[in-house]
Amino acid sequence: MGALEAAAYRLIGTATCQIDRVADRYFCRLAPSSKPQKGAVLSSDDLKERFLNLVADENLRTRVAEKTEGVRNVILALAFGSLAAAQKDAG
Amino acid sequence: MARFLAPEAFSAATEDLSLLPFNLERTGTNQYLVANIVGDFIRLTEDELNRLIDLRIRPGDGLYEKAYAAHLISGTNQKAQRQLLAARLRSRMSFLQHVTPLHIFVVTLRCEHSCPYCQVSRQSTDRSRFDMSEETAMRALDIAFASPAARIKIEFQGGEPLLNFPMIKTIVAAAKSRSGKTVDFVIASNLALLDDVVLDFCKANNILLSTSLDGPADLHNKNRPRPGANSHELAVAGIRRAKEILGPDRVGALMTTTEASLDRVDDIIDEYLQLGLDGIFLRPLSPFGFAIKTKQFAKYDAQKWLDFYEHGLRRVLEINRQGTPFREFYASLLLTRMFSDRPIGYVDLRSPAGTGLGALVYNYDGSVFASDEGRMLAETGDNAFRLGHVDQDSYNSLILSDKLIGTISSSLTQCAPECSTCVYESHCGADPVYHHATQGDALGIKPLSAFCARQKGIMGLLLDILDNSPEDAAILRRWAAP
Repeated sequence: MGALEAAAYRLIGTATCQIDRVADRYFCRLAPSSKPQKGAVLSSDDLKERFLNLVADENLRTRVAEKTEGVRNVILALAFGSLAAAQKDAG
Repeated sequence: MARFLAPEAFSAATEDLSLLPFNLERTGTNQYLVANIVGDFIRLTEDELNRLIDLRIRPGDGLYEKAYAAHLISGTNQKAQRQLLAARLRSRMSFLQHVTPLHIFVVTLRCEHSCPYCQVSRQSTDRSRFDMSEETAMRALDIAFASPAARIKIEFQGGEPLLNFPMIKTIVAAAKSRSGKTVDFVIASNLALLDDVVLDFCKANNILLSTSLDGPADLHNKNRPRPGANSHELAVAGIRRAKEILGPDRVGALMTTTEASLDRVDDIIDEYLQLGLDGIFLRPLSPFGFAIKTKQFAKYDAQKWLDFYEHGLRRVLEINRQGTPFREFYASLLLTRMFSDRPIGYVDLRSPAGTGLGALVYNYDGSVFASDEGRMLAETGDNAFRLGHVDQDSYNSLILSDKLIGTISSSLTQCAPECSTCVYESHCGADPVYHHATQGDALGIKPLSAFCARQKGIMGLLLDILDNSPEDAAILRRWAAP
């Protein structure tokens, strides 16, 4: 659901996406903007391809975030948090 | 018996590898742009990206080496790489340690120009109402000197600040008589009123001049009308005289792009070259003041401006290839972000935003704003970025005000939708005043933001040139040097 919502957000100005959950499935209703803010009006096929690519990319981002959350926190702590202070004290 | 073990014995086991944080953006069929936590870029195919995320990589397969060099993977127990990234991140964000280095004094809102794109909504009459009083100026100076920065810059703005030159002299003398800080001074002027008295004062007090030059005479005078229709003549004469008296690097010029500029970028750049200026800052119109009232802002969109910018940047690179060093300053700022970990002072390329933390603006009437654009909004009735008044507030009450903290915390790109996962995030910034002005929200909906479109467009263009045009790439890399 998070990937679908993020992909729908990135489509703002190009198309709208209504996401409905029915049982264990999600249905995404895409409608191109009649006056898109970016680029030309997309055909149904182009819009579908664009949306699926965005969802695929969001899934990649989710996988990266899940795998790197711990080390991201360590780097941030080393840079700005208690670990940075500890390093200064040790130095 | 073999003297050495087989190569595999020296390979790091895949299970000892861990992924480091990065952002990604699809750039074409099966092509991705990837940036590590400090914004170093690398291009990967879709297959490479999937292998990287799954850690299906081995020493010697090319991707392993590429990913290690780009700080996308690390040994699980390897501390040095995490410490290196943390040190780089801390350096990049160290602008936060230098709070409020810029203090803008709007010494008058009066101006003898009548520019239709004027973003500050200048006034033409009533000296008593639109000039800063000495009492207000001294209170503002108290606040500026209470800021923690050891070195501050005081910039005089208007209207046309030289219309209240006596107040500039008073403030400079008062600032220099106070101890505890190094103070730099800048006067942002159209130079129409520049004379030898002003120049002598600037020379004696080491004051920089910053002016507006929109291009050749016909374009400049169309954009910047004044009685006598001689704005260009006076600006050019002022630049030449200031270079002569103050020195070639003591006067700078800025241009603003109007609809009439869009197909004139070569002419505009040539004008700067002919004046011996060392570069140009190609700037879009901002959505404030008369630029909105006169509908100037709505006359071109982000894509038209990007086309203008690309044409201009390629012309500037051509000038460099022909042997004349000449920069496009916005590209220079972005390249400094990309190729170094030095913090930069440019408030629009920061998150947390530079509003208030980067600058305070003291308006002619004593109101204090979080940014120059904030006071521009106030002149059209929107006080969203008015932090207080010099009569009632101290430096601490302004900087720690709920309004400023709310603005900055609600616009962080590090946790905003789309921004937080954007491949360009490390080099971009929050611009809460722009997004408030255009969308009524400090954070903004980035897919609808012209600021976002311009940022992505320019950085994408720079990366394309860096990847595909070696001679131009060498020029761009030089622009990132201090």
